[in-house]
Amino acid sequence: MNTESFASIHRKTLISVLIIISAALLGFRLFQMQIINRNAYENKSAENSIKSIEQLPLRGVFYDRNGKLLVSNVPAYTLRITPAEYDKKLNHLLETVLEVDSGYIDNILYQYRAFSKYQPVKIKRGVGFDIIAWLEENSEELPGVDYIVEMHRDYPAGVNGSHIFGYIKEISPKQLKKQKDYYNLGDYIGYKGLEKTYEKKLRGEKGWKYVLVDSRRRMIGKYKDGKQDLRPVKGSDLILSIDADVQKIAEQEFIGKRGALVAIDPQTGEVLALVSSPEYDLSKFSYITPKEFLSQLYSDPSKPLFNRATMSVKPPGSTYKMLAAIAGLDLGVITPSTTFYCSGGVDLGRFFKCHGVHGNINVIHAIEKSCNSFFYNLIFKIGLDKWAEYSRRFGFGHKTGIDLDEENAGLIPTSKYYEKIYGPKWPRTIMASLVIGQGETSVTPLQLAQYTALIANDGVTYQPHLVKGYIDDNTGEVVPYQYKKIEAGIDKKVFEIVKEGMFLVVNGEGTATHIRSDEFKIAGKTGTSQNPHGKDHAWFVAFAPFDNPQIAVAVLVENVGFGGTHAAPIAKKVIEAYLQNLKDNPKQLDKSIAILKQ
Amino acid sequence: MRIDYKLRDRFDFGLLLPVLILFFIWLAAIYSSTYKHPSAQGNFNRQIVWGIAAVIIFFVVYSLPTNTFKQISIPAYLVTILLLIVVLLIGRKVSGAKAWLSIGGFGFQPSEFAKIGTILAMAKFLSKKTVDIETLKDLSIALVIGTFPVLLILMEPDMGTAMVFLSFILILIFWKGISVFAMFVVLSPAFIAVSSLFGPYYFYGALVLVTIILIVFRKNLFLSGSIFALNLASGFFTEYVYRALSPHQHKRIQAFIDPMSDPLGSGYNTIQAKVAIGSGGLFGKGFLAGNQTQLQFIPEQWTDFIYCVIGEEFGFIGSIIVIGLFVYLFFRILNIASSSKDEFLSLTAIGILAVFFTHFIINIGMVVGIMPVIGLPLPYVSYGGSSLIANMIMLGIVANIYRTRKMYA
Repeated sequence: MNTESFASIHRKTLISVLIIISAALLGFRLFQMQIINRNAYENKSAENSIKSIEQLPLRGVFYDRNGKLLVSNVPAYTLRITPAEYDKKLNHLLETVLEVDSGYIDNILYQYRAFSKYQPVKIKRGVGFDIIAWLEENSEELPGVDYIVEMHRDYPAGVNGSHIFGYIKEISPKQLKKQKDYYNLGDYIGYKGLEKTYEKKLRGEKGWKYVLVDSRRRMIGKYKDGKQDLRPVKGSDLILSIDADVQKIAEQEFIGKRGALVAIDPQTGEVLALVSSPEYDLSKFSYITPKEFLSQLYSDPSKPLFNRATMSVKPPGSTYKMLAAIAGLDLGVITPSTTFYCSGGVDLGRFFKCHGVHGNINVIHAIEKSCNSFFYNLIFKIGLDKWAEYSRRFGFGHKTGIDLDEENAGLIPTSKYYEKIYGPKWPRTIMASLVIGQGETSVTPLQLAQYTALIANDGVTYQPHLVKGYIDDNTGEVVPYQYKKIEAGIDKKVFEIVKEGMFLVVNGEGTATHIRSDEFKIAGKTGTSQNPHGKDHAWFVAFAPFDNPQIAVAVLVENVGFGGTHAAPIAKKVIEAYLQNLKDNPKQLDKSIAILKQ
Repeated sequence: MRIDYKLRDRFDFGLLLPVLILFFIWLAAIYSSTYKHPSAQGNFNRQIVWGIAAVIIFFVVYSLPTNTFKQISIPAYLVTILLLIVVLLIGRKVSGAKAWLSIGGFGFQPSEFAKIGTILAMAKFLSKKTVDIETLKDLSIALVIGTFPVLLILMEPDMGTAMVFLSFILILIFWKGISVFAMFVVLSPAFIAVSSLFGPYYFYGALVLVTIILIVFRKNLFLSGSIFALNLASGFFTEYVYRALSPHQHKRIQAFIDPMSDPLGSGYNTIQAKVAIGSGGLFGKGFLAGNQTQLQFIPEQWTDFIYCVIGEEFGFIGSIIVIGLFVYLFFRILNIASSSKDEFLSLTAIGILAVFFTHFIINIGMVVGIMPVIGLPLPYVSYGGSSLIANMIMLGIVANIYRTRKMYA
């Protein structure tokens, strides 16, 4: 027997030590958790039980210069699935109802597998009302399936404007990396056009609602009675300089044609219409973009996504002749009475042709008749670099800075440019091509419109722009944006001479007499840009009314031939539409704003 | 012989005081954890009824003649075994374990009461004058009395309660006075068994260690060889038992090794429990103000995870007070066990201490993430009628032993 060991003091001590060590171990562990690592656990605890729900603001809309709604928001249904409650047996049924391929739902759910099972996943946007009605009726049999209302863009004015407005799209992971501070996965962002340029103004500010949730992320109440909630701030509405009626007419004129049109108010630089044809259907971009639609757009040889108005660079043809005339008159190398002889061309080592025999001709009639010989002679008096300098003063060779992010600078060659290619003895006859708007000279329709506006308004205008201002939500007033003033710094008399020539193009014996209008005096200039790849491109620039110019237009129609025939009638239509509108309904915007304020 | 004792002499307030304080902490914790809970709101009231019943039972047990315990030990043990078999046949399954019997709408767990019967039976056997724990025969009988209910409980299967049994079996034979070598013989198969759960290399390593210790003891070759064989068998037997465990227990063991391996599954409770306690800080978030508790991040937190509520709402101070109360209670029981002159009563008291202590260390250890999640309630604090009544019976037995300690001189 081992009785001396029974309940011995040693064994009691051993048990005491065991109790104390265990308790100390637990105490130390508690100290570690509750005192040392408290903050980390506290953060986790807060994350656990407070859920912040994003409150998306309403995106700002677009009005035209007369207060007509161009781009608005309309509600659309988005179908969602909460994976924790959803039964995958319903996949087939839902896929049939939604008319999507089998595997569509599994594929989307797989993409979101890393997120909480209790967080709803957006399955399809723009779901029809019939499907929503079916969903409501059968909600008992469709656990975990619901819908929300999201806003998408609508274009109620019937204006296409694809190259003006642009579109919004779900933010790409790449963009998201750069702009984490505001955007989240699944947010919309302006991708192109004004939607992109004015993104920050249009998007408004997100709001946040804080709610308490339980362990299954179910909402069980407001956090601090909603005192910390942040209301979303609506995006600002923009007032565009576009005239919806004029834009619509311009777009209609371009149906079936490739080309571009830019109309500017020469006194303000406001773009009245901007068309690049072919256009694309913006409404297909506004919530969900079918893949076939996108690939079709990208592979279309007529490049509908390419903004020809600001991006296409082409030789301006004879529309560029005014520039040399202005330079010559301003430099004093010619006067209005200076004449050059046209024998159907000029011999400059090789024979440079004119399209007629004009005899002795002065600057006004040289513009009217578009006489090449006059300008072949003139350019040698001006010199290439002086000519290039005047080009830059009229906005060529650099971007105009219009509020669209896609724009090309074009090219105005200088002597340095040719020295680089041909050396110091570069063939001077090149200048003869340049002065009549051929060869390397290349411009965008927008630049040409700005140049026409500068001529029309005697050398003063403002940077071309599409947005006049935005509506202040507190006051309802329009807050105008300020734009840079552009001055050519040339005497008014020079412009009067050149404009006289342009007037005669339409109203004298010029190249566009077929668009003569009795109501509005139009002045213009035709141009044909030689195209080595096919038919020539037709140009026409014009402004009206002659005495007090309200609109300046540049029109480009690709691959059709002579400018007077194809481009000039479009310009006339646009000019007449705008001037008629101005005459019938002065101060339309002020009236519209008054209505909006109510 | 009749001595007129003072009340203080007959009733150990030091024994009841920590339990009474725990009782109020327990009321607060149950109230808080079921506050606004959709399905468990009645738990608080139900538990008050249990509480009153438990206090009555405590005083009944306290007043019984002390020798009753020795008299009923064998019948109690047999009834215990019977109930454990019945529960396997007609028991109700709750979270994977067939451990509940329904009697007239009340559910109760036979395994809670089996502890008492087994302790009494083992204490009775060990306190026999003829028993020498150093002989293989007597040691084996003691172990068979103790481990037979364990086998039945493992079949439910209820890991936690089985561990409580193993714990008090070891403490009882230890208290009886087993030698270091005999203790090694008993413990080494368990050591091998646990090691084998971690994989073959741990198993081999443990075997080598056991072999080295055997060599150090310098016992005869036959005995050493038998013990080695026993160890080897234990390792393979564990493999079999592990397979017999329910999947949710497998998951719990895996989740203990790496809680993040399944953050929404079995590791979920551990993570949320740690967040609840850690975020309590020094003073806690205040009564009914713990968001982890009030937002019900831990399912059925009023049962095994009740300590989270204390940790979150009453902070480090509240948690330490609870530990302090338990430690105080343990030392009171230890003193009673050690001062009792009767071997049977001393063994019974130490067995009860082992039960409380095992519950305490496994429950709090699991909540603070240093023990695997094995479903064991915290005595006096967790919700549950059977466990409360069983605990109060055991406390009553200890108080009874104190009352008559001088009669068994």
